[in-house]
Amino acid sequence: MSSAPNHLVGDLLAESLTAWRVKGDVARADDGGLIIRSNAKFIRVDPAPSGSMFRWMVTIDGLQRGAISLIAVLRQTRAAIDPGYAPNRVRVTVAPLVPP
Amino acid sequence: MIDHKAIPVSVLTGFLGSGKTTILGHLLRQPEFSRTAVIINEFGEIGLDHELIEASEDSLIELTTGCLCCKVRTDLAQTLQDLLRRRDEGTCSPFDRIVIETSGLADPAPILQTLMTDLALADRLVLGSVATTVDTLNGADTLEREDVSQKQVAVADRIVLTKLDLAGAAKPTLLARLASLNPGAPVLSADHGRIGSRDLFETGLYDPSTKSIDVNGWLADEGHGHSRSPHHADIEACAVVRVRPIRAIALTLFLETLAEHCGADLLRLKGIVNIAESPDRPVVIHGVQHVFHAPAWLECWPSDDRRSRIVVIARRVPRRWVEVLLDAIGAEVDSVSGGG
Repeated sequence: MSSAPNHLVGDLLAESLTAWRVKGDVARADDGGLIIRSNAKFIRVDPAPSGSMFRWMVTIDGLQRGAISLIAVLRQTRAAIDPGYAPNRVRVTVAPLVPP
Repeated sequence: MIDHKAIPVSVLTGFLGSGKTTILGHLLRQPEFSRTAVIINEFGEIGLDHELIEASEDSLIELTTGCLCCKVRTDLAQTLQDLLRRRDEGTCSPFDRIVIETSGLADPAPILQTLMTDLALADRLVLGSVATTVDTLNGADTLEREDVSQKQVAVADRIVLTKLDLAGAAKPTLLARLASLNPGAPVLSADHGRIGSRDLFETGLYDPSTKSIDVNGWLADEGHGHSRSPHHADIEACAVVRVRPIRAIALTLFLETLAEHCGADLLRLKGIVNIAESPDRPVVIHGVQHVFHAPAWLECWPSDDRRSRIVVIARRVPRRWVEVLLDAIGAEVDSVSGGG
């Protein structure tokens, strides 16, 4: 299942490491998957297979989990490599989604 | 939507000794500043600032003790509720706006958040503009030394230089520092506290004179990005401009992700956004840290410029990350929605 263009996802992951002030790098595998190496973690991000309920598959040190969106990919990735991460979960609903 | 009967609440902040009370004292003697209720917050057991202000009879001065940013949920909200009750009962001078002078040590963010989110106040009050005083003589050192001073500048809609009579013209290093912290805020000068109230307070999101949302004035010159200063990279502002309309859900997810990953480092966010589902009525967004004001839908575009413009003022948040985040979320939402 495709999602955001692959180059955008790679850029987002690389820029996210900078934003989180975590050392590491993002590279693209020969088969198109994205590889993140940071804090002794090896993370791979791939588009989920067709028909999956997920959009992305995130593999962290060999353990694969589905991610329903890029936001979930970011959350899983940061939780794995940033020990100080304390997610600040908020709902910022642009409600109503269209003018009344 | 902003209630057109809502009373604008403006905030005058600035570090200790930067001239807030002098400016307020001058403003309170101006006829156009009548019908203004003033809340002065001082840090300490005994407040003095209210004694130093010679107010006209139509002005109302309230005093709270303790630092507003530390006790904001109770003290400020309670003070504002009392003020509104007395206004309704006719037991105080009538007023059409409120100005809060914060203590010099106050972090302005919780104060702004309370104004935006307190349910008991939300339908009566609307956040006006934020003005921050900067001592021309000591401002540069203060900004280097005091984090709260940086935050006070970063959230300002207007920056006011004071004590120019002592320091002469502001040094380029100070102006550069202010520009790196908040490039979109016009920098004004006060001469012994003298400055026009319109220059200072009628420049916020909500324009009390027209009872409308003054988006152009609010966003000022913030339509373009600003490069990171190599020397002062802690807090910076960046503006993300997009020609292509943004889907409402993409904007929601973008804001949530910013708040989730930036936390308290997200000092202020404001913008006007062209929503794909509402091409003729843009939405105005406004947030302080992880608290966001209810979006305001404009009746129409305020100018021919229909680009989305989102200004993010944050500590150590790279501009490029903000841009790529918005684009990547937008692309994913488009793919789900069958567009793009």
